[in-house]
Amino acid sequence: MSGALSVTARLAWRNLWRNHRRTLVMLLAISIGVWAMIFMSALMRGMTDQMVRNGLHTLPGELQIHNPAYRDDPSVANDMAWPSGALLDALDGPPVVAWAARVRVPAMISSERDSRGVTLLGVDPASERALGSAPTDEEITAGRFLQGPDDDGIVLGAALARKLDTGLGKRVVIMSQDPDNNVADRGMRVVGLFHSRLEGTEERYAWTGREPLQKLLGIGTQVSEIGATAHDYRHTDRWAPSIAAAAGSSLAVETWGELDPYLGSMLRVMDGFSLVFMAVIFTILSFGLVNTLAMAVFERVREIGLMQALGMQPGSIVALVLLESMYLLLLGLVTGNAVAWLSIRPLQSGIDLTAVAEGMEMMGVGTTLYPALSWIDMLFSTAVVVVLGLLASLLPAWRAARLDPVRAINQT
Amino acid sequence: MQAVMCRAVCRTFHQGESLVTGLDHVDLDIAPGEFVCLSGPSGSGKTTLLNAIGALDTPDSGEISVGGQRLDQMSKTQLAQLRLHRIGFVFQAYNLVPVLTARENVEFVMQVQGVPNAERRKVVDEVLAAVGLAGLEDRRPTQLSGGQQQRVAVARAIASKPDLVLADEPTANLDSQSAAQLMALFEELNSERGVTFVIATHDTRVMGYARRVVRLLDGRIVADEAQEPHRMAVE
Amino acid sequence: MNLTWRLAWRNLWRHARRTWLTVGAIVFCNVLLVFLISLQLGSYQMMIDNSLALFSGHLQVQQRDYQEQQRIRDSVPAVAGLAQTLRGKLPDARGVAARAQAFALASSEQRSFGIQLTGVQPQYEPEVSTLPGLVSAGRYLKPGDTDAIVVGAVLARNLKIGVGDELTFIGSGRDGSIAAGIAKVVGILKTGVADVDRGVAQLPLGWFQQAFAMGDAGHEVVVRMHNLDEVPAAVATVRATLPADEKLAVLDWNQLQPGLRQAILSDMTSGWFMYGVLIVLVAFSVLNTQLMSVLERTHEFGVMLALGLAPGRLARLVAMETLLLSALGLAIGLVLGALLVAYLGVAGFTYPGMDEMAARFNIPARIYPQISFLSLSWGPATVFVFCLLASIYPALQLYRLTPVAAMRAAQ
Repeated sequence: MSGALSVTARLAWRNLWRNHRRTLVMLLAISIGVWAMIFMSALMRGMTDQMVRNGLHTLPGELQIHNPAYRDDPSVANDMAWPSGALLDALDGPPVVAWAARVRVPAMISSERDSRGVTLLGVDPASERALGSAPTDEEITAGRFLQGPDDDGIVLGAALARKLDTGLGKRVVIMSQDPDNNVADRGMRVVGLFHSRLEGTEERYAWTGREPLQKLLGIGTQVSEIGATAHDYRHTDRWAPSIAAAAGSSLAVETWGELDPYLGSMLRVMDGFSLVFMAVIFTILSFGLVNTLAMAVFERVREIGLMQALGMQPGSIVALVLLESMYLLLLGLVTGNAVAWLSIRPLQSGIDLTAVAEGMEMMGVGTTLYPALSWIDMLFSTAVVVVLGLLASLLPAWRAARLDPVRAINQT
Repeated sequence: MQAVMCRAVCRTFHQGESLVTGLDHVDLDIAPGEFVCLSGPSGSGKTTLLNAIGALDTPDSGEISVGGQRLDQMSKTQLAQLRLHRIGFVFQAYNLVPVLTARENVEFVMQVQGVPNAERRKVVDEVLAAVGLAGLEDRRPTQLSGGQQQRVAVARAIASKPDLVLADEPTANLDSQSAAQLMALFEELNSERGVTFVIATHDTRVMGYARRVVRLLDGRIVADEAQEPHRMAVE
Repeated sequence: MNLTWRLAWRNLWRHARRTWLTVGAIVFCNVLLVFLISLQLGSYQMMIDNSLALFSGHLQVQQRDYQEQQRIRDSVPAVAGLAQTLRGKLPDARGVAARAQAFALASSEQRSFGIQLTGVQPQYEPEVSTLPGLVSAGRYLKPGDTDAIVVGAVLARNLKIGVGDELTFIGSGRDGSIAAGIAKVVGILKTGVADVDRGVAQLPLGWFQQAFAMGDAGHEVVVRMHNLDEVPAAVATVRATLPADEKLAVLDWNQLQPGLRQAILSDMTSGWFMYGVLIVLVAFSVLNTQLMSVLERTHEFGVMLALGLAPGRLARLVAMETLLLSALGLAIGLVLGALLVAYLGVAGFTYPGMDEMAARFNIPARIYPQISFLSLSWGPATVFVFCLLASIYPALQLYRLTPVAAMRAAQ
């Protein structure tokens, strides 16, 4: 730092504290603003994360491969072969962390008392667990989850079992349709019940082994869909093309954003909302910031005039005011970030939202919200405040530099 | 009953780390209708004494009575009421509310005093005329000369018909002609309305108007002399 | 105008730019709040109206356990008769209709899906639900139909059927027997709400009762009122009408769709967090301005104190200045906000991603903000109150002033 600049820096710092009450009020305002930006972003990020993750668990996967006709007509007739060759290599290599191939058919499930329509999944339990789509051991409230692809038991949601008046160890009849449109049915024993954060999931899905279901439907080793994940839902677009290339033109490869436009748009809406929120907070802050600096300049008109008379360059005066603003902003940012960090830490174990559980379910979020503090948000809000703050300070700084020294000194 | 009575009044101030003596056992009696000047170099205790008499400042020890009322036995509110109704103040220049016109400056204080609307209007014009500002009632302080501003301050001080007017260096910012006019106004109010005047000043021209000059030095009264007033010439 | 008010007003303009900047902050916040709250209330209103009008109605009579369990045997006896009785008791209702529901495997020639079938009264259903009006092909059910069915557009696509095709359904009847039937598709319903279009299938109540061995029983009597305010009174009337011993329950819209109010509640909570932050920041802006204005007038206030003005009177002056400042912000903000909202009330408002949200939450993709006294005044009034509160600290400074010290301050 050159000598002149270091004097300016020191002067700006002392100027800041000449009216310490005003500085403290402004500092408090900036800190609250910065805190709100980060806190809100963390809540939104937490909510979006959960919404997307829940969505990805039920889809499942960040990317899916189907028979091209499947999405319009999700019937067992539109099935696909077990992956092989280039596709299998692509799925087994990075960045794919886990993948699962499954049979997915609409089915009717009946107890002796009642019946319901469900989506019946024939799965390989181990790969589904790796994908994150199957109920975890904690979510199994009674009995067990499937043990292998050849398991011919059925695992139902607790809510579905209640509505069907059935329970663990009881038999249910499932009815579905084979590729030739014949009704295929068989009895299955309920081996496990699961609980889900979203009640809709409990009622909609029933799990059984892949092989018994393939046999029931008479489809050999064919499957309905393949889900794959890289555990980085924000960047699926980066690796989806290589999978699509490996899958060839006979299969459709779609990312989660394409599969569930609501989920994709929610991510964009939430990100956009965070940005708008930051901009709005900053706009309100900037009124106060410009005001404070304008007052600081106004009070020191004589002094600034004197400095000019003593030969200080207009550029140095601009630097003086900008530096004062910079100190104020940086102090506010440090406090705001620190308070945000401190206030989010204890909340990271989750905020209980059971009071509005069903409303959150409409949005695809469970009953516990986990705020996600991200350094990107902290960095971004800091950048917003510093850049826009300095821009807002230019006006008072420029006015200060433009003062006529003689008139300024004589002003009383 | 004396208009002002001071007994063994002491006041010290902290200035940095040292104690500065403001007033040192001051005894002073001022009879109703007197026209007194407190004189002495700066730092001699004139303003301190004036502030103490005006109940703006509380002495460390000693007692002060104004119009027979002991100031140390009054509450803050009572003191404010005393200042509002019984004492008029005139300070150095620039003590008017800049956003109010001459008339409004006087009216504002009267409104606070609780003077009813109709009476206020009448008294304001009367008082402003009495201080020689007829026709300038609607000007703001910035549109008035220093002397005129000070007259507005005098009008404000006497509007409540106080028994006592305390003036601290009232001519400090005025040219000689304005100063002479102001002093003439004080003298007129003193002789015609019987208002007691206590003026702190180191301006010898001002002292000439007084019938009694009290000299202070280092917080003590060093002289208290009656004199024949000798006025400045008013052109 | 009173002299003190005049003084307060002129004091505001001693630093015109500062005052305008502060007023600007208040105006910005007010316009934003008017806009957002109108939009919020508008979309809530639409969400409630559309969701309830689509299917569930404002209140329903069900067997006590049906809402929770949705089992076919939790039925309401003589459901059409009960609907008829209620129609008489609720002359103000927009419509009263009986329904029965069951799950069944529906099969076309090529496809089978497990779906929920609803038996409806064709002559009354259009009065309680907007679904019958959303026919995209064919027609809705009409009185006298027997083996007719209308299905949602996505369901029709999945089943590969169209108007005139047959649909076979197999399920279990109320007594546990196999229930089966063949119905002819007479119409396709299209709402734009994916879940509804994927799941809806309606057939005449009488035929449904026969097929599912329901006798004269059903599952719900749906009542739709003209607006939400009438619901509590209607609930009370219905409750008084029901026979006490039949295990029937009256559910209002909030119990029927608990997610709706909660979604609104949680949205409102996050909304108010944002509003709260904005309001606090504006209050700080006012606080700072008023603090400056008090501090720079220390000398002047000292003179006034010396003249005998009580500190309380000066504090009142500062409060009045703040009041005028905030009132100015309130007035301008309200006018600009109202203009903006009035414009959007005609033009509508939309944002990227709105289409997908709309489909999920059952609202149109363009929101028309709600202009009401509440939506206009709620935000600005709160801002106003907080701005006034912000003058407390600056005003308190006056109580700490002593005339002698204050007059020594620079002018």
